[in-house]
This record gives sequence, structure tokens and C-alpha cells, in this order.
Amino acid sequence: MTDIDDNELIARVAQSDERAFLVLYDRYASRVHALTLRILRDPMQAEEATQDAFFKLWNHASQYLAERGNLLVWLLTIARRTALDRLRLESRRPVINDADRPEDILQSIPDFHTLPEESRWRSLHFSVQSLQPNQRQVIELAYYQGLSQSEIADVLGWPLGTVKTRLRAAMEYLRHEWIEK
Amino acid sequence: MSHDEHTPFRENIPAYALGALDAQDAAALESHLQTCASCRTDLAGYRAVGDHLLTALPPRNPPAALRRRLQSRLPSAQKAIRPRLNWSISRVAVGAMFTLLLALNVNSVLQVSALQLQQAELTRQIQTSQTVLALLSYPNTQNLPIHANDANVAGTLLLDMDRNIATLIVWNMPQLQEDQTYQIWLIDPHGNRTNAGIFRPDLGQPFTTASILSTGNLSDYIGIGVTVEPTGGSDQPTGPRIVSVDF
Ligand SMILES: [Zn+2]
Repeated sequence: MTDIDDNELIARVAQSDERAFLVLYDRYASRVHALTLRILRDPMQAEEATQDAFFKLWNHASQYLAERGNLLVWLLTIARRTALDRLRLESRRPVINDADRPEDILQSIPDFHTLPEESRWRSLHFSVQSLQPNQRQVIELAYYQGLSQSEIADVLGWPLGTVKTRLRAAMEYLRHEWIEK
Repeated sequence: MSHDEHTPFRENIPAYALGALDAQDAAALESHLQTCASCRTDLAGYRAVGDHLLTALPPRNPPAALRRRLQSRLPSAQKAIRPRLNWSISRVAVGAMFTLLLALNVNSVLQVSALQLQQAELTRQIQTSQTVLALLSYPNTQNLPIHANDANVAGTLLLDMDRNIATLIVWNMPQLQEDQTYQIWLIDPHGNRTNAGIFRPDLGQPFTTASILSTGNLSDYIGIGVTVEPTGGSDQPTGPRIVSVDF
């Protein structure tokens, strides 16, 4: 079953096929967990959010529409919302350090059977890393911490106009790199 | 539309695509997007950047125990472990609840006539518990577990999608301060929250019941959350979430 494509698997999950569900788990758990860890920065909380995200996939598989985007993005969108909900529940202060510590990268051991996916996230990751640090920080707080522009201005002690300019510049750069190229 | 009229909106599109635009600006941009195809195209491009950001993180494997936990909660594992027990426990629980609620009803009626105290509150309790009684005896009622961070808090949402009726029963709901209330929110698939009523823990009872008030179809929502809010309730959740239920 491991060579069946995502759309077929999710259709089976919608029919309560548990094996198909576990194949999707094995395929994407490390991507979901990377995101929940990035947002929550606490291994226990991240595990619970990862589990919740997969239960939502199990319960709502029939709502997935392939024409609206691919399954991984849908699953990660669910995971992001789940993790941000937890973060707000805790109302924890955002962490403003740069999240890409070297040990984080080293812990991600490449899987040989997913080489095309592997090179894909590596190139995306590289683009984010090549943003100017203060632009990357705004993206980090907005997207992975769920803060609004005025909240970011408060946290970083920057004028709101500066936050807006840096966020726009970062998004413009990434759009150029990823969408227009 | 001239270039100048577009500019303030167009500048806000990247932040909006990340969900980082402040509420007031977001509302203004949303109404502009309704009428402006070129800004909608712009937004689609920036939304795609957001999708890429989701997948741009180095993978991290969760512990193997997580997979086992997940697997043990799938229907076949649940059935394999305790097929009859599950069923009989829930029957016993429902029976106990039924008896308790009958007692509550009689008790509340006596209190209303004898003491004339807190009449409105007791009337609400009676109406809610009558709804619960009706839901419990109706064959199509779903019995959904609640999730709570506090391990002492437990309970059930009785839900009849067909008739658009739902009642929350929670045990050991923490007592609130004088100026606080619990507020129920219906959550739609986009994560939007809609007010579905406020309540305070029932005094003198170990459990609290609250009806879900919905003007729309309950089937349009994916779950509910209950938060602590200032007395009178809020337009959107502001306090910590105490309880949630997935439909
Ligand atoms: Zn426009």
C-alpha cells in the first residue's frame, strides 16, 4: 500500500480504512511534527498537537478536495491551526530567538526513499534561510507563532511601519523565488 | 479602479495571506477583494507562498510511541479491547445520568415553588435538563466525549444533528469569579468562532448542563469550544479554552 498515491489513500481513509490512514501517518508524520514542534517548542505539546492533527484527518477525510491543493498542504494547514490554538490556549509569550538552531537541522535524518521530497523541502528551507534575519524574524512570528503585525511590533519593539515593510519585502522575495521563477 | 485606490489594499495582501493583518485592515481588504479580481489574483500568489512555508521545515520524526497511541485509538483497536464493556458502561452511565436528572428536575421544581429564589436560573436548568432527558431517549442522538486540559473535567455533548439540538453536560467545571462567565463557541471548518451561548456552573450540582444555541445548522460546524469570558460574554474568544468537542 506504500506505493499508492495520496488521493487514493485519503479516499480510503474517508471509508474508515485504518491501514490507509497509517500509511499516510508514516508518510507525513515527520512533516506534521516538524511544524507542531516549530510552533509549540515543547515536545509533549507538539506530540499532542501532531496526534490531534491526524485525528482530524481521520475524522474529516471526506471533506478533502483534491482540486483545492495537495494533501500534505491540507494536513499541514490543519496541523498549524491545531498547534496555534494550543499556543493561544497557553497564551505563552512568543520566543523571538532564531528557531533554526544547528542541532535542529542535524536531527533531521534524510530518508533515502523520499529523495525528491527531500530536495524539495531543502530548497524551500534554503530560501527562507537566505532572507535577511530581520525579515525572517517577521515571517517566523507571523506564520509560525500566529501573531498579527501590531503584536509583532510590540514583541520586537519595532515601529509598526517597519514590521509591515519587512513582512512585505520577505513575502515579495519568497514569491519571486517560489512562485514566479 | 485607479492605481491609487488599489495601493493601500494591495500593500496589505501579503500580511493577510499569512493571517497577520490586524482585524480592522483585514475587514476592509476583504470587502475590497469581493469586487477586485486583480487583488484576488495577487492574494492567490501570496497564499501559495504560505503553503510553501508549511512544507519548508526540516522533517522531525515523532517518537514511535505516538504511532502506537494513535493506532490504539482507532475503531478496530477499541473494538478488539472491550467490545461489550464499552457498550455496557455507557448504558450504565446513561442510566445513572437519567436518574440524577429526574432527581434534579423534581428537586428544582420544589425549590422554585418553596423558595422563589433564583427563579430564572432554575427555570433555565429545568429546561436544559428536560432537553437532556429528551435527547437521551432519542435513538439518533450522538454522544460525543469532551476534551479538557484539566483531568478532573469530564463529560459529554449530546448532539442531534437532524433536529439541530445539542446539550453539553460537564462534570467538575471549575467555579468562576464573580465577573466571569463560560461562553460556548461553534467552530466552522475555517476556524471561525460563532457565539453559542453563555453559562455558569450550576451551584449545588456536581455537573453543569448548557444548551448550545445555534441560529445556523450544527452540521455546518466541526466542533465547539468553551472559554472563560467577562460577564455578558464576548464577540470573539478572549479567555483560556476549558473544554472542546469535535463533531
Ligand atoms: Zn484591488
